[in-house]
Amino acid sequence: MKLDVVFSGVGGQGVVVLSDIYCEAAMLEGFDVAKAEIHGMAQRGGSIVAYTRIGEKVESPLIETGKADVIVGFEILETARSLPMLKPGGNVIVNLKLIQPSCMPLSVKPKSQKELITLLETRASVHKVDGFGIAQKLGNMLVVNTVLLGALSALPEIPIKVESFQQAIAGKIKERFINLNLQALQLGRESVLKS
Amino acid sequence: MTSKIALDKPGSYALLNGDEAVARGAIEASLKVAAAYPGTPSTEILETIASVSKELGIYSEWSINEIVAAEVAAGASMTGVRALTSMKHVGLNVAADAVMTLAYTGVEGGLLIVVCDDPALHSSQNEQDTRYFAVHAKLPLLDAGNPQEAHDMAREAFEISEKLHLPVILRLTTRVAHGKAKVKLGSLSKIKRHVEFDKNGNRWVMVPANAIRQHRVLEVRLSQAKTIVNHSKFNTIEDNGSEIGIIGSGVAYYYARSVLDTKKYSWLKLGFIHPFPHEMVRRFALKVKKLIVLEELRPYLEENLQRLGLHIVGKNELGLEEIGEYTPDVVRQALANYGLTEQCAAAIRTDLPPRPPALCPGCPHRAFYYALNTANQHIECNSDKCVGCNICEYACSFEKEGVFNPLKSRIHPIRMNLTYNTAITCKACINAPCAAACPEEAITQSRETGTITVDQTKCKGCDWCIEACQFGAITLHPETKKPQVCDTCGGNPKCVSVCPESALSFVGRPNDKIVAGDIGCYTLGSLPPLSAVQSCLCMGGGISMGAGMMHAGVKDKVFAVIGDSTFFHGGMPGLLNIVYNKANVCVVIMDNSIIAMTGHQPTPGSGRTAMGDPAKVVKIEDIVRAVGIEKIVTVDPYDVKATTTAIKEMVNYKGPSVIISKRTCPLLVKKGEPYEVTDKCNNCGVCHKVLGCPAISVVDNKAKIDTTLCNGCGVCKNVCAFSCIRRRE
Repeated sequence: MKLDVVFSGVGGQGVVVLSDIYCEAAMLEGFDVAKAEIHGMAQRGGSIVAYTRIGEKVESPLIETGKADVIVGFEILETARSLPMLKPGGNVIVNLKLIQPSCMPLSVKPKSQKELITLLETRASVHKVDGFGIAQKLGNMLVVNTVLLGALSALPEIPIKVESFQQAIAGKIKERFINLNLQALQLGRESVLKS
Repeated sequence: MTSKIALDKPGSYALLNGDEAVARGAIEASLKVAAAYPGTPSTEILETIASVSKELGIYSEWSINEIVAAEVAAGASMTGVRALTSMKHVGLNVAADAVMTLAYTGVEGGLLIVVCDDPALHSSQNEQDTRYFAVHAKLPLLDAGNPQEAHDMAREAFEISEKLHLPVILRLTTRVAHGKAKVKLGSLSKIKRHVEFDKNGNRWVMVPANAIRQHRVLEVRLSQAKTIVNHSKFNTIEDNGSEIGIIGSGVAYYYARSVLDTKKYSWLKLGFIHPFPHEMVRRFALKVKKLIVLEELRPYLEENLQRLGLHIVGKNELGLEEIGEYTPDVVRQALANYGLTEQCAAAIRTDLPPRPPALCPGCPHRAFYYALNTANQHIECNSDKCVGCNICEYACSFEKEGVFNPLKSRIHPIRMNLTYNTAITCKACINAPCAAACPEEAITQSRETGTITVDQTKCKGCDWCIEACQFGAITLHPETKKPQVCDTCGGNPKCVSVCPESALSFVGRPNDKIVAGDIGCYTLGSLPPLSAVQSCLCMGGGISMGAGMMHAGVKDKVFAVIGDSTFFHGGMPGLLNIVYNKANVCVVIMDNSIIAMTGHQPTPGSGRTAMGDPAKVVKIEDIVRAVGIEKIVTVDPYDVKATTTAIKEMVNYKGPSVIISKRTCPLLVKKGEPYEVTDKCNNCGVCHKVLGCPAISVVDNKAKIDTTLCNGCGVCKNVCAFSCIRRRE
């Protein structure tokens, strides 16, 4: 068994923390885990990617091009940017939020949400998640990430029990926010299971 | 809850990155003193140790730079306790003076120097390879390939250090330091040391007579190390009876294992690589017919293998470079070219707009650079908007001469063809050719604003200035027959305010001064649209490089920008030097009271230590005054107008001067209520194209502020000439 998941978004969205929780959950199931990410510049609104790999034994922290099983995208443009990493027909979970990069050179045309989603659908099985809407329902915008984790947990290829995700969240998040995040996890799961 | 770093549960697992793993390994080995200066990707080592320091009785500090950190750790080691210092690769250059001679003195308690290299320069200014520094300094070096190795090596390094009486270098690379993995923890060893400094020994006094003796001692210690490396648990052979043997170090070794069927090859993983384990390598070479070598950056293993007379397949044969980092794709391609595996999957092209790192919304550095760029403004016409209505021309002549007469205007609309209109006026060129052409020295250019002034009494009306201006911005006054040119109405141009199409704007010009940069978030000011910073060499280098340019005789005013922590780190000697050597440089200290770039570590100006204790707040202004700077202005960069005034003042000041641009990093302050753009917006572009705030984009031909990104700093409101930005109610 081996499962490679790419988490991608914009600096400041919580890509690193969420991919950590996913890895902690995988470790609770006894998997070997390796991940790669870049700190430092990440906070300054640039692209940020965390590569995670789980399996019986993982040697490299980086994933090969075209071999990732799943992309979890916090933002649509960055999700599309990670697309070359995905195996043909792989699963994409994408949060329906587009942040246009600032100060683009005039030669570069901005891409619309529709164009980007179409691009994703040419190569992947896309699960669109309204993370913002669900988080709003729960009354806290900070749980968008946990909604995405819930959506990821509902994919059939994820070999991690929902209880392990719950335990990993409890181990990583301040006590008073645990219940809220467990609700977000559940709503994220349902958004994929229902569709 | 006990942090996983301090958890005494041997055999349990934790998800750690390489830095955290080093911290844990050192803690398990009863580390007593740790000192470091932050630097990506090494920062989390000391950060992690500091987070459990009080609980475990460890002393840890953020030192003001790497050599100070190395000296603190060296002093601790001299008393018999175990000590650690960590830094990024270029930090080792700063610490080199101490480290080179520490190799001679040797150590008492184990001393670990952790150095994180950054292949591919994810956040650095060069790609130096610390393995060669170990050769240079004659120090043992361990090279970690993943977090588990980083943990095990950090723990073991103290034993090695005490056995050899030498400092030991542990090298990580970015993918190890910032890669996380499941790490098996060891026990907390709880070694107690009697703290005592040997006052009688000559070994610590590196005068020539002692030092040459210690050099001999170093050679003996290094030859002992040569025996150890050949039996080190970090150098391992996996003999699968293959004819092909693969030798690797660092993460490159694991990339090779992930792209190949491991059972088909024999493997030699080298972790303790200086001194080079000759015997072990020879033993391995005898088992195989072909040796493939994989290592990032310089060919250290290759050169050592070649020295043994072994034929190898290395970077040249595999088509690999010394530049950048390896990835599984790179390694697969190289091995596929050699026929060992399949090619990489063809990557699909997505052709998407890039998203480079940028200064955050609310960043005071952006506001300062904006002020710097707009200290020198001129009028520009956007030909896409200009309809050729000529109103600017009438407004100008009325403002200047009280008449509506296009011949007396300083701005001239022109129609290039039926659909292309624009308006021409003075562009305030750098080193204006009109001023240079004037034989009577009647034309002068303001150093502050770049504006051209004609001295009517000196002017003889020769017209040379009109010939010299390539834009046709200078015309003859119909009555006086003397040249007339735009003076920007003293910084508040009438034409811009009346243009009904908003085609005219009053814009600054990046790059019209010399701005020597330094290392920190503010280096991002070199990127468009600010494009304000023109150099970045090393920590604290900008001030002295600026002085060098000035002494060489450049005409432009020289500014040097430097952050508060970089100033403490390496800028103070440079500042003292420009006072002593009378350099006409204006040093801008961008004080956000924290080391922002590496994740908000405290500085001597922050008022707290690494361990969270309160500390004296060192005021930058006091230091600046103490070294002898006489001209000091402190500004709040959010107040763009006051900042611009200060900059103009400094342009004209002769001699060393300092602007302290003081504003706390916005990531540490609660966000203010966001701003919004009103319907009046004419998309002049100042807020998104000139200021370049990432929270502002263009939607339906109007600027729009993303309220979730907006920091509420209000600088955009200050720079909007048309009062179209207001705080959300």
